[in-house]
Amino acid sequence: MKLTLTNFSLRHPWLVLIVVLLSTVWALFQFPKVTFDNDPENMLAEDEGVRVYHHRIKEAFSLYDFVVVGIVNEKHPDGVFNVGTLGRIDRLTRDLLSLHRSEDGKPAVVRPGDGAGPNRIQSMDLGPTGWWGQMLGRAFSHDPNNLFDAEGRSVIIGHELIGPGVVDNIKQADQGSLRIEFLMEHPPRTPAEARIIRDDAMSNPLYAGTLVSEDEKAICLYIPIVTKTYSYNVAELVRALTRDWTTEDRVYITGLPVAEDTFGVEMLVQMATSAPLAGLAIFLLMWFFFKRVSLIIAPMLVAIISVICTMGLLIGLGYDVHIMSSMIAIFLMPIAVADSVHILSEFFDAYHRFRDKAETVRHVIRHLFKPMLYTSLTTIAGFASLGTTPIPPVQVFGLHVAFGVALAWVLTMTLIPAYIMLAVRTRMLDAMQDCPVKPGECAVRSSWLNRTLESLGDVSYRRWRVIMALSLLVVALSITGIVRIRVNDNPVKWFTAGHSIRVADTVLNAHFGGTYTAYLTLEPAVVQVPDCHEQAAIMEREVKVRFGAIFPQATERFTTALRALEQQYRTMWSSDPNRCFVELVETAGQIDEEALASWNAMAETINYLDPESLTAAGLLEAVNRVAGVNAVDREILSGRLKSLTALTGESLQNAVLAVCDEYTGRSFREFVLDMRAELSAPLFKQPDMLRYVERLQEYLLSQPVVGKVSSSVDALKKAAYELNFVSIPAYAKPEERAVLDARNRASFAVPDTASAVGQVFTQLEGMKRKDALFHMVTRDYQRLNLWVQLKSGDNRDMESVVQAMNSFLAANPPPVALNCGWAGLTYLNVVWQEKMVTGMLYSLASSFVIVLVMMTVLFRSALFGLLAMIPLTVTILLIYGLIGWAGKDYDMPVAILSALTLGLSVDFAIHFLERAREETRRAGQWRAAVRQMFKEPAMAISRNAITVSVGFLPLLLAPLVPYRTVGFFLATIMAVSWLATLFLLPALLTAFQRWAFPQTGDTDVKTGESGDGSQPVGVKMEKGIIQ
Amino acid sequence: MKTCTSMLGCAGLILMLAGVGMAEDLTADAIVAKANRVAYYAGKDGRAAVRMTITDGKGGTRVREFAILRLNTTGENQKFYVFFREPADVRKMAFLVWKNVDGEDDRWLWLPALNLTRRIAPGDKRTSFVGSDFLYEDVSGRNLNEDTHELVETTDTQYVIRNTPRNPGSVEFKSYTVWIDKDTFLPRKAEYLDANGACYRRVEGLKVEMIQGHPTVMESAVSDLVSGSRTVNTFTRVEYDIGLTDGIFTERFLRRPPREVEP
Repeated sequence: MKLTLTNFSLRHPWLVLIVVLLSTVWALFQFPKVTFDNDPENMLAEDEGVRVYHHRIKEAFSLYDFVVVGIVNEKHPDGVFNVGTLGRIDRLTRDLLSLHRSEDGKPAVVRPGDGAGPNRIQSMDLGPTGWWGQMLGRAFSHDPNNLFDAEGRSVIIGHELIGPGVVDNIKQADQGSLRIEFLMEHPPRTPAEARIIRDDAMSNPLYAGTLVSEDEKAICLYIPIVTKTYSYNVAELVRALTRDWTTEDRVYITGLPVAEDTFGVEMLVQMATSAPLAGLAIFLLMWFFFKRVSLIIAPMLVAIISVICTMGLLIGLGYDVHIMSSMIAIFLMPIAVADSVHILSEFFDAYHRFRDKAETVRHVIRHLFKPMLYTSLTTIAGFASLGTTPIPPVQVFGLHVAFGVALAWVLTMTLIPAYIMLAVRTRMLDAMQDCPVKPGECAVRSSWLNRTLESLGDVSYRRWRVIMALSLLVVALSITGIVRIRVNDNPVKWFTAGHSIRVADTVLNAHFGGTYTAYLTLEPAVVQVPDCHEQAAIMEREVKVRFGAIFPQATERFTTALRALEQQYRTMWSSDPNRCFVELVETAGQIDEEALASWNAMAETINYLDPESLTAAGLLEAVNRVAGVNAVDREILSGRLKSLTALTGESLQNAVLAVCDEYTGRSFREFVLDMRAELSAPLFKQPDMLRYVERLQEYLLSQPVVGKVSSSVDALKKAAYELNFVSIPAYAKPEERAVLDARNRASFAVPDTASAVGQVFTQLEGMKRKDALFHMVTRDYQRLNLWVQLKSGDNRDMESVVQAMNSFLAANPPPVALNCGWAGLTYLNVVWQEKMVTGMLYSLASSFVIVLVMMTVLFRSALFGLLAMIPLTVTILLIYGLIGWAGKDYDMPVAILSALTLGLSVDFAIHFLERAREETRRAGQWRAAVRQMFKEPAMAISRNAITVSVGFLPLLLAPLVPYRTVGFFLATIMAVSWLATLFLLPALLTAFQRWAFPQTGDTDVKTGESGDGSQPVGVKMEKGIIQ
Repeated sequence: MKTCTSMLGCAGLILMLAGVGMAEDLTADAIVAKANRVAYYAGKDGRAAVRMTITDGKGGTRVREFAILRLNTTGENQKFYVFFREPADVRKMAFLVWKNVDGEDDRWLWLPALNLTRRIAPGDKRTSFVGSDFLYEDVSGRNLNEDTHELVETTDTQYVIRNTPRNPGSVEFKSYTVWIDKDTFLPRKAEYLDANGACYRRVEGLKVEMIQGHPTVMESAVSDLVSGSRTVNTFTRVEYDIGLTDGIFTERFLRRPPREVEP
C-alpha cells in the first residue's frame, strides 16, 4: 500500500511527468486572472457587524478615506504661514482639484497661464521608469497613472477636499459686519496677509490641531478618495506635484489608507523577490550539502511546482491575493523541499547496494513513507487549523498552504521517482558508487557539528535531571513572559522605522492632533418626541414661569385650555403633538387678541412711520390715529413717550418700538410657537445634549493618546461666538473693555435655546462649502459624529479610548439614553485584531489536539504521543515568553506563527522518537541507543532545521516588518525546537525509559519499518558508526 | 446674468415682448440684457411665498418655507426681504439684501432667537442660500458685466448663450450656458461647467405661468450633479406691483417683520 503511488510512478514515469506538466500549465494559465486585495479591512468578513456599521456611518456622514498630506516648514520664522509656502499649498490644492484624464489617458492638471494667458494643461506620467518597476507593474496589473474611475472621473472627491484654500471661515470684518469666506480665499501676497490666515486658522477650533498645527509649522491637506485602493497612486501624484518644491517645505504623506495601500503595493514586490530569494537560498544550501545540481533540481522542482499549483488554485478559485496569501510561496518553499531531500539523500546512500534505480527507490520509500506522511500530515494540520479562524484571508491562506504541503508530499512520492527514472543517468550513479563520498563528504564537512552533537547526546543522557530542571525553569520563565504579552497592532508599524510612511507618521503626529481618525457616533437609543401629555406638562410649567405673575387670569385661562386639549388628545391612540399645537395656537391667539391687540396695532403703525424728521409729537399723533386701541394701553404708551421726547428720527422710533416690544413680547401665541420649536427640536439641537457632548469631548481630549476631538458643537460655538461678537471700540475704558471681553468670551458656548442653536446651525449650513457640517451631524440632527484623532494607530491605544469612553458614559449618564458606536479604520483594526487573537488561540488549541491524536496513533502509544508534543510545547511557550519579555507586540504575523510552529516543530520530534525506538530495539536498551541517536539521526534533524531556517532568512531583508517577523521567528522556532528535541527528548526518554522502552515484549512497539526495512537501515547505520 | 432661478418668479415686460419679432438680429449681449430684465425685474415690486425642498444625495429631505419681497429701486438696483416661517426653529429669521449693480451688495441677517442683527460683509455671493443648492447669487442675480456672453446656437424656440467669466479666479466654474426662451426671453435652463469642462450644476425653470402679464417661474430646481443633491422651489401667492415701499427694506423691519410677509 505504501508503494502503490511510487510503483505506479516507477512504471509510468512519462505519464506522471505529463500529468504534473499539465497541472502546472493549467495553474500557470490561472495567473493572468489574479486580483490583489491590499485592504486589511478584508480581514473581517464582508457582513461582519462592525464593518457594516462602519460603512453605514461613512454613508450617513459622507465620510471618506483620506490621504493625509502634511507640509512642514521648520526653517521659516513664520513656519508654514509664509507667502511662498502658502502659495505652493494653494497651487497644490488647485492642481488636485483640477485633476483629470488627458487625451492620452495620463493624469493632467490645469495650471493658470503666465500673466493673463490662457490656462495650460500639464500632463504627467507617474509610471515607473526602470524596467524592473515596469515589469512588476505589468505582472501585478498595477498602473500608477490609474487615478480615474470607470467613467474617467478623478478619484479625488474635489468638493470634499480639506485644505486652507477650500474650508470655510467666519470672521469679523469692518463696521461690525461678518465675513464668510474660505480660510485662504487667495494665496497671500504679503507676510502680513499670511499671518492673518494663521490667526484665523488658530482661532477656529475645527482647524487648529487638524488643518494647521498649533506650533504653526505645519499644514495638512486631507484628500478624500472614492476608495482607499487609490491611495498609493494619489500619494504618488502628490509626490510628483511637489517634486519641484524648495527643500524648506517638506512634504509628508500618511494616513491609514496610504499605509495600507502602500503596504499592499510593496507586498507585491516582496512576493516577487522574497520567494525567489528563498528558493535561491535553499538551492545554494542544498548545493553546499550535496554538491550535485542534477540531484537538487528535483527538490527544487517539487517546491516550484507546489507553489505554482497552489497559487494557481487560489487564483482559479477566485480568491484575491491578500497580505497573507502573498506569503504562501515563502512558506511552501522550505517545507516542500524537506521530504524530497530526505528521499534523495537516502537514495544516493542506498543505490550502491541495489544497483537498480527502481529497487532503490522502493527501498527508500518503504523506509521513509511513514515519517514523511506524518510530518506532512502534522504540518497540514497546523496550517489547516487556520481554517477555523474567523478571518477569511487567514482561512484562505491556511487551507491553501495545507493543500500545497499535501501536494508537495504527493509530488515527492511520484515526481521524484519519475525524475529518477527519467533524468538520473545510471552511469552517473555507478560512477558515484566508486567514489561513495556523498554522505561522507557532508559528514566530514560538518564533523565539528558531528562531534558537538555527540557530546550533547552524552550530556542529555547523563544530566537528564539538570536538563529537566532547566526546561521547567524555562517553561516557568516563559509563562511569566506570556502573561506580559501585549496584544497590539498598527498597520503603520508594518513598515520599518526608516520607511517614508513611518517617518511621515512620526513627524505629522508630533505636529498635529493625530493622523489616526476614529468616529464616535451618538444617536438616541429610542427616537421619541415627548407626547401630548408630557408636552402639556412642560408647557404648563413654563407658562406659569413666564406669565403667571403678570397675567394671572390669562395664564389661568391658557392652562385650562391646555388641560382640556390634553384630556381630549391623551385618550386618542394617535396622540399627535402637532394637532395639540394647532389648537393651542388658536386659543393662545384669542388670548393675545384681547390683551395685546392694541399694542400690536400701535407697534405696527409706529414701525411703518417714516423716521425722517420724526418727533415725539408726530409719533403720538400717529398713534392716536390708530383705530381700535384701548385707552389704557394708549395711555401707557404716551406716558412712556414722555421720557423719550429728547429723541428724534430713527432713534426715537426704535426706542418707542422697544417699549411696544415689552408688551407685544407677552404673547401667548409666540410662547406656544417658541415652545413648539423647543419641544420638537431634534436631539442634537437641544442645548442640554450639546453641552453633554461638549463635556464628553473634553473628557476624551484628556486621554493622553487623543490629540483632538471635533464635532458640530465646535462649529456651533465658533459660529455663535462670531455672530455675537461685539468689537471693542478703541475709546472704551478698561472696565468697559473687560465687560465686553467677558461677554464675547461667554458667547463661545452652546446657545441657550434650541431655536438659537437651530438658527446658528442654519448659518453654518449656508456657508461657501456646502454640507461641511454634515460630516459631523446628520441633516436631521438626530445623529452626531465625533471625529476623534489619535496620535497613535496602535490598537491598544484605540482600545484605551473606547474603554475611557465607556467609563465616562457609565459615570455620566446623558440627558437622553444614547447609543454609541465606533467606526473608522483605526477602530476596525481593533476589532479584527481581537478576532485574530481569539481565532488563533482556538486554532492553536485545536491543532494541538489533532497533532496529539495523530502522534498517539503514529506511535500507538499515549506516552510517545505526549512526548512528541513536549518539544513543540516548550518551543511555543519559549517563543511567546520571549515576545512577552522583549516587549514585542503580539500582532498579526506573530499570531499566525503560533499555528505554524506547531505543524513545523513536531517534525523533529517525530523523526527523533521514531529513530529512538528503532535504535533502542536494535541496541536492546536506551542507554546504548542514545549514542547512535546523536550520530546520523541527530545529523539529519540538524540539517533539516538548517535548511528550513535558511529558507526563511531572505525575509529578513524585506522592508516590511511582518515579513521580517515571520523570517526571524521561523528561524528561531527551528532553532528552539531543534534544541528542545535534541536535549529534552533524550532527557525525558531517560527519565521515562522504564515505560517508554519496556525490556520485555516489544510487540506493541511496532514501528513503521520494522520487518521489511530493518536490514538496509541497519547496514546504513553501521556505516554511519564506522564513519 | 442668471437664470430663472430668481426666488421671486420671473417676469418680462409687455414692452419687451413686443420686440420678439426682430429678435433674430439681436446680439448675445442684448439677449442677455433682455432676459435679465425678464427674470429679475418684473413689475415695480413683487411678492411670493416659497416652499423650498432640499433633497440630499441620499434621499433625505429638508423643507424650508419663507416669504420673499422684492422692490426695484433706482437704476438696476433692487432690494430683497426674505422671511422664514418653517422649520419651527428658524421661524421669524430674516435676511435683507440690497443689490447694487455697480458695487458690492449689502446684506443683513436677523436671528430672533439670539436677538441679533448682523451685517454680512460683501464677499463671495456664490455661497449656499440657507444650505440649499441655490446660491445667494441665484436670489439676486449675477451681474451681467462679470461675464462675456456669446450666442452659440439659436434653435426654433431658444437662444443658447455661453457665458465666460471675465475673472476666472473669482468663481468655481469655467463657463455656463443658458437656454433662453425666444418668445418670453425667460431663461429656462443653465448648466455650469467645471475646469475640466464637465457639467456639475444645473438650474432649471420647471413651470412657468403668466401672472399679471409677466411670465413667471412657479417652480424651479437646482441640481448639484456632483453630490446628487437637488433643491426645488415652488412659488405660490405670486403678486406684482403690490406697492412696497423702501422703508420696509431696513434693519428695523428685520426685527419686526412687515405685514406684507404675513400669509
